[in-house]
Amino acid sequence: MEPDAAQNPNPNPGPPPISAYYQTRAEHHAVISSDWLAHAAAAASLPSSDADADAAAPLPSPGSNGGGVIEEFNFWRRKPEAAEAVAAIMALAAVIRSSRATTMMELEIELKKASDKLKSWDATSISLSAACDLFMRFVTRTSHLEHEKFDAAKSRLIERGEKFGEISLKARKTIAMLSQDFISDGCTILVHGYSRVVLEVLKLAASNRKLFRVLCTEGRPDRTGLRMSNELAALDIPVKVLIDSAVAYSMDEVDMVFVGADGVVESGGIINMMGTYQIALVAHSMNKPVYVAAESYKFARLYPLDQKDMTPAHRPIDFGVPIPAGVEVETSARDYTPPQYLTLLLTDLGVLTPSVVSDELIQLYL
Amino acid sequence: MDLRRPPRSTSGGVEPKIRQVGFVTPDALSAPSERPAAAVASAAPQPSASSAGSPPASGLSPGSLSPVMIPPPRHADHLAPGTPSPAASASELGDDETWSRAPSASELEANKGDLAELQNDNVPASIPLKQKTSKAERRAIQEAQRAAKAAVKEAGFSGKSAGTSSGANPAAPKQAKPSKASQKKDVPQVASSVASEKKVTERLQERDRKKDVPHPRMQFDDVHRVEKAKKRAIVNQSEARNRVELFRHLPQYAHGTQLPGLESKFFQLEPMHPSVYKVGLQYLSGEVSGGNGRCIAMLLAFKEAIKDYITPPKKVLTRDLTAKISSYVSFLIECRPLSISMGNAIRFLKNRIAKLPLTLSESEAKASLQSDIDRFINEKIIIADKVIVSHAITKVGDNDVLLTYGSSSVVEMILDNAHELGRKFRVIVVDSRPKLEGQGLLRRLVEKGINCTYTHINAISYTMHEVTRVFLGASSILSNGTVYSRVGTASVAMVAHAFGIPVLVCCEAYKFHERVLLDSICSNELGDPDVILKVPGKADLGHLKNLTDNENLQLLNLTYDATPSEYVSMIITDYGMLPPTSVPVIVREYKEQLWI
Repeated sequence: MEPDAAQNPNPNPGPPPISAYYQTRAEHHAVISSDWLAHAAAAASLPSSDADADAAAPLPSPGSNGGGVIEEFNFWRRKPEAAEAVAAIMALAAVIRSSRATTMMELEIELKKASDKLKSWDATSISLSAACDLFMRFVTRTSHLEHEKFDAAKSRLIERGEKFGEISLKARKTIAMLSQDFISDGCTILVHGYSRVVLEVLKLAASNRKLFRVLCTEGRPDRTGLRMSNELAALDIPVKVLIDSAVAYSMDEVDMVFVGADGVVESGGIINMMGTYQIALVAHSMNKPVYVAAESYKFARLYPLDQKDMTPAHRPIDFGVPIPAGVEVETSARDYTPPQYLTLLLTDLGVLTPSVVSDELIQLYL
Repeated sequence: MDLRRPPRSTSGGVEPKIRQVGFVTPDALSAPSERPAAAVASAAPQPSASSAGSPPASGLSPGSLSPVMIPPPRHADHLAPGTPSPAASASELGDDETWSRAPSASELEANKGDLAELQNDNVPASIPLKQKTSKAERRAIQEAQRAAKAAVKEAGFSGKSAGTSSGANPAAPKQAKPSKASQKKDVPQVASSVASEKKVTERLQERDRKKDVPHPRMQFDDVHRVEKAKKRAIVNQSEARNRVELFRHLPQYAHGTQLPGLESKFFQLEPMHPSVYKVGLQYLSGEVSGGNGRCIAMLLAFKEAIKDYITPPKKVLTRDLTAKISSYVSFLIECRPLSISMGNAIRFLKNRIAKLPLTLSESEAKASLQSDIDRFINEKIIIADKVIVSHAITKVGDNDVLLTYGSSSVVEMILDNAHELGRKFRVIVVDSRPKLEGQGLLRRLVEKGINCTYTHINAISYTMHEVTRVFLGASSILSNGTVYSRVGTASVAMVAHAFGIPVLVCCEAYKFHERVLLDSICSNELGDPDVILKVPGKADLGHLKNLTDNENLQLLNLTYDATPSEYVSMIITDYGMLPPTSVPVIVREYKEQLWI
């Protein structure tokens, strides 16, 4: 998270910064709008709009300088299946491997620098910074690091780092497996927007020959819901698309709600695409369970008290018609859903209740 | 119900003490059925009348028991009246043990946590019975030893009822005779006769000699009984009559009567270290209050005591010092029941004493203990507060309206810090009678230039709509996330929750406890009920002055209340910002660290 959040909890007084995180998602999801193109062109630091998987790109040798980290990061990030956070983790693991430090302290400082650089690449991405922090803690937490020779310690760190990376890569598969118990024949599932984890869950359920149908919200303004419905239709799952306002209307026929998360906060609540809170409220009032599929590297040490208590992340909205000059538009890209509206968290650590998030974080951090 | 057997000699057995649950008015009870306060007066003459020998069980006929009465377990059955057999006195003593809060001496000992309910004493005894006490004496010794063990065990959470005896009795003149009950309030279910009290006194004196650890209080009773009798009588009457039934299990002190006695005893208490004594007086007078303040004062007093401590010959330092600390703790409990933070600190200290390696010399051991105490105060309180402030500051933004209740030291630090950092916010300080602690906080905040509003708790639903955050302090947080704090906190938290305003509770981790509290009744502290009657500075509001003797009026002055966890949004501790569900995690994971 932003390091100076303590000093300046208010949003910037200037024009809201465009969240690179959401632009990347749009890129991955191949949804292109004119606004986005303009911004992408303007943002020189972002890679060109190359949405195809580019596994053939040569792996740049990551020196021990910070620039190498970003290159490595971009390499991993270009795979559309890879979450940013996982890319960050793999990049950091590579940093350890290629580091030329000779003492633990030096190595840790290098890692910290690399991690800061990654975090600053996009200050609004919660999973990115959470993953970086978690990686640092996970890797440096081994207790007998001080007593070993440096090489042994370094190889142990590399091992742990790569293990963490592997866990994170496989996280989606683990979650998909765990969620199979929750999907039964003949059920109706509501999903919101495009979440790769949820897609994985539904893919696995379909391949297990379960019969269910999916209601998918449109997910404006980037209309990621449409992409989701495309993918689901390709899997031969019966899909119905709703506009965001029709959620309460259709909630009666829904058996459960599945959403992903951008970040899971310490209270057990989630930060996710705008609209999730609404859906959770409606589901809660109609007694429908809300399941969140989130990898464990998304657990962040944040604790928002209300909707405005987070670092703002804005995304331009294309209404299709020009908005008159004096009219303000709410462009926030995400909202916070408090834990009392969530039923269970499906994570690679297991199926958890929201109150366990703090438990895990305490064990890891303190 | 209860016809108390007056003189032990004549009474064969003991009437079971029956406790009524719920709010009962004295008139509702029939004559034979027992009734505290009011009935005591009538009961007092009865025992003497029946001393000739009504069977002890007379009051116990099932018919006289109202459905809510809970007959207490009894050790011995009634014996034939008029046969003061050893068995009888044994059973009587047995009862004593379970129920009676014997005069101060045993008040500490007799406190069995599990039998906490009945505070009752009034074991009547008559002077002529002295010759019969041989077996009683032995029982007394046994009881004293058992009680001493229990007292050491329950130094933390015992609700000791230091009540005066008897019940409140209107039979003040009768009580004027010695009885120890002087400091105790009791929950008389049974009228006690003076004679019995005398006998108990004597037994206690014997116990005294037998015990290793000197009991500070006993001396008070012996010397001051007569002087205090009159004062006590007046206070007792109002206490006894106006005690609320539901809170009988909590001790209620005779405010105003102990202080002069204690002060005059200052130089006569050899076993009590002066700094501990001083701290006790400060608690009693209310000069030192607040969880952190009391804990720090107590630890510093213990530090002084340890510094001056010399191991008696042929004693092991760890055991003797632990016993001494326990006796100090008992004294402090007499002055004011321990807060949870103090209980935890005492546990820590005893833990440290127990872990001292045997190879250390006395001076090294003492130095190590003193540095442990310093470290505890520094790490767990002072630095913890700084960490809490640094976390809480992130939740205070510009144009915030913060509400706080009462006067919490941590919340005050947060507000000061936020002001120093230049945040623009304003504060609403909510206060309530009778303590009016918010006024002190208000004065200090205004002096620093913070924009403040002051209101009483009855206006919170009126002012809550403009509030953005509520900051509350806590005396302790329990394992189920319940916040145990100054009375009124729960109301503030619930109103804030109803308005959708986040409630942030700031509490250091050393105050967490693994207990679970479901309501504010089981464990609480009762303050001086007279303060409710009078409004300082407003003589015209003294409508209740003439009603103090009225049986229909019961006064209740609670000190703490329990806020359920669903009304708390976040707990800020030195371990970070946690949801209320994570308190048991901290207690579990850091139990070793907290106590080491």
